[in-house]
Amino acid sequence: MTQQAVIEATPVEPTLTGDQPAERDSDEALVADELLVEEVSIDGMCGVY
Amino acid sequence: MSTDPSVDGPVDGFDLDRPWCVHDRVAVRPEPFGALLYHFGTRRLSFLKNATVLAVVRSLAKHPTARSACVAAGVPSAALPAYERALATLAESQMITERMRQ
Repeated sequence: MTQQAVIEATPVEPTLTGDQPAERDSDEALVADELLVEEVSIDGMCGVY
Repeated sequence: MSTDPSVDGPVDGFDLDRPWCVHDRVAVRPEPFGALLYHFGTRRLSFLKNATVLAVVRSLAKHPTARSACVAAGVPSAALPAYERALATLAESQMITERMRQ
């Protein structure tokens, strides 16, 4: 039997490059975006139905 | 199309200022980390990673726009672009769908 799970969430690696508030806000948005939704396809998994 | 300067711009296929709802073939299962969505048509899973995004998704059908659902759920304006992208991801995977205006 084959088990396959495809995780399609694209990792976002924020880079803190300065102390400017605008840059921090942008980075925080990236971090939040990474954490809000993660998608997984279960096509190819056996024995789950 | 949004004219709100707090929004970076339209996300492909998703408009925060349109009415949305959870797809009728999607089951929402609350979990300690947020929620698990399962689409019976596409057999895809989506993990909602906090309670706020779950509240947004669950309340979409009660609001005239996704933006108002976000505001009602307490999403701060600075975080709105991130929530817009998250909802766009859910729209792309058909977990949520635009509903017809009534």
